[in-house]
Amino acid sequence: MNPFAVLAASFIGGEGFGNDRTRLRPWPETVAGALQRGELEALSWSTLFRSETSRFGRMDLLSRLGLMAVELLDAGFETLEPARRDAVGVCVETCSGCTATDAQFLQTPLAGIFAYTLPSTVLGEICIRHRFRGPILCLLPVSGQGGSLEAAMGWLNRGEADACVCVACDLMDKKFAASALSPHDAPGGGWQSCAVLIGRRTGASREHPWRPDSLPRLARSLVIGGGHRPPLQARSLVAFTDGKQLPCKQRIA
Amino acid sequence: MDPAMTAPEIAIAGSGGESSQRLDATPIAIAGSGEVTALGLGRERLEQAVAANASGLRDCPRLAGKGWQSTVGGFVPDEVWRSLRERDPAHAGAPAFLLADAALREALEDLSSSGRNAAPRLVSGGLPSAATADLGNSLFDTVPPSRRGLVLSTTKADITALEGDFHHRPVSDMARRHLYPALLAADLGAAHDIAGPVQCVSIACVSGLIAIQQGALLIQEDKADLVFVVGVDLFSDFVLSGFTVLRSLDPGGCRPFDAERKGLSLGEGAGAVALARRERLAFPALTVTGWGSSNDANHLTGPSRDGSGLALAMNRALKKAGVAPRGIDLVHAHGTGTSYNDAMEGMALRAVFGKTVPPYCSSKGLFGHTLGAAGLLETIVCLTAARQQRLPGTPRLLCPDPSVPDSLLREPRPAESLRHILKLNAGFGGVNAALVLEWEGG
Repeated sequence: MNPFAVLAASFIGGEGFGNDRTRLRPWPETVAGALQRGELEALSWSTLFRSETSRFGRMDLLSRLGLMAVELLDAGFETLEPARRDAVGVCVETCSGCTATDAQFLQTPLAGIFAYTLPSTVLGEICIRHRFRGPILCLLPVSGQGGSLEAAMGWLNRGEADACVCVACDLMDKKFAASALSPHDAPGGGWQSCAVLIGRRTGASREHPWRPDSLPRLARSLVIGGGHRPPLQARSLVAFTDGKQLPCKQRIA
Repeated sequence: MDPAMTAPEIAIAGSGGESSQRLDATPIAIAGSGEVTALGLGRERLEQAVAANASGLRDCPRLAGKGWQSTVGGFVPDEVWRSLRERDPAHAGAPAFLLADAALREALEDLSSSGRNAAPRLVSGGLPSAATADLGNSLFDTVPPSRRGLVLSTTKADITALEGDFHHRPVSDMARRHLYPALLAADLGAAHDIAGPVQCVSIACVSGLIAIQQGALLIQEDKADLVFVVGVDLFSDFVLSGFTVLRSLDPGGCRPFDAERKGLSLGEGAGAVALARRERLAFPALTVTGWGSSNDANHLTGPSRDGSGLALAMNRALKKAGVAPRGIDLVHAHGTGTSYNDAMEGMALRAVFGKTVPPYCSSKGLFGHTLGAAGLLETIVCLTAARQQRLPGTPRLLCPDPSVPDSLLREPRPAESLRHILKLNAGFGGVNAALVLEWEGG
């Protein structure tokens, strides 16, 4: 039997946002129009979260999307002790990478922009926010978007991590979308971000017909289906946190 | 019973999990290698430079007067560029492809010549049989295309295409396509009849070591039998501009671990290794026995000040390889020449090895910091060292920083026994990676 389980899932896209407990919610009217036009600058941290982050404003859009997807997991990472954070792996996959930021840096060559001209910078931002120091990987999918799930299961299988955060985030531009090899499978293309937290199964599981062939498809399905996750303090994350009860914080605005 | 306690987790079904991740513990070895750098094309140039502790860095007059912090770098020689374009006119306008392809071709040639030149080696207590050992010259042909894989490592691929578009210079469609590293990987695989798994890893300056790890896993998970891991990055105004605004370049050229170091020197090039199961090779080889990675969770463009993140990656690699720190004969460091990086590495080395740090060196003075190609090219330097049983030096080092461990290798020297090598890289985003390599000599 497959020993791994998705412990939490989140999705952010033009159609809305949510996690596997909240289901997909529509964007507030204040930002919906802008997001439908692809104006992602309209998406502020406070649109979704009540918590604080001082770094969000300086990030590029790809990093903002990735960080938001992980926050949206609402997985109680803030309760983890430092040693457990060393055992959380992070794998990012992005088809578009940071080409939009590259173009911005050519226009305005500033150090604060150059730091974001790597597709893996979003991984660094996620690790800084949550103090994750486990194994890392950033893949640019060649023929499908399941690589991070495979990598995460490998880490768990080999005992290299206790849990893994897999993130797929993309800002598609027209050139790439037109490419014959485009592996992007988001509905309608454009932009999206999603995350799943994977850990070892703890017993009360049942099989779902999700295959690790596409992280965005998996995350979106779990969020749209919704209702998979019981209140935070009673669910399988307890196993991942040494049996400690996690605070049930409704941080999603 | 609390109903929440019986609510399901969401299991990953089907092709995932243990069923698809049959992990074969068979060691994975480097069956062939190829490189193109500021030193030129091919192994001979690299071996000569490593033996002489020579530097391929030079000043580039073309860059003068443009406000860059440094015009010194590791540039692939013009005559090499010319020969690559003449050999492959169809890709003449796609420089990242040309370099990656050149390194891959060299690796294929090495794969072939290793087999031709190899003395028979004992395998499992006896002479290699047809079933357990292939000569290198037949390995590529005996592996069907669907069992050949490729992992590309790069940070910026053909970023010069974006520059060209921005400055309204002519840009080939191929180069524009290779702005997307995944498409470069796909084209490289197609050009070499690689029809198995193709991956593209881009994780700053640790891309190369992580790509080697991914390549080894493709074989251990039985998804491929022969995997080419190729690292490539170009010297570009884009990257030069970035490091200029960060004030991270040494105007006179990098001096890793030197007391007077002022920054790094950028380089360009490509490195490729062919990975296969050790048991298939009938010649002495360098085996990838352990790997580890970590994140500092500290800073985007600077390393953690205490080296704890890199130490974490080193300890993970040593644990996976089953090698105690005292078993390491050489550490090939990241050694960029920036003040913070080299100080951080010194601390990480002390954290892992205590007072007895093994001999260590840096190759950034050899061909510059080649970013996505660095892990590959520096692993090939390790391979050269192991083949020759000589510890490499640290080119361009004049006066070692007294604060770093004193086992720093200034000049190359014969090794008493060079068996276990620890290769390190670190990069933007707080990323760290380590590989443990084991030489199984003939």
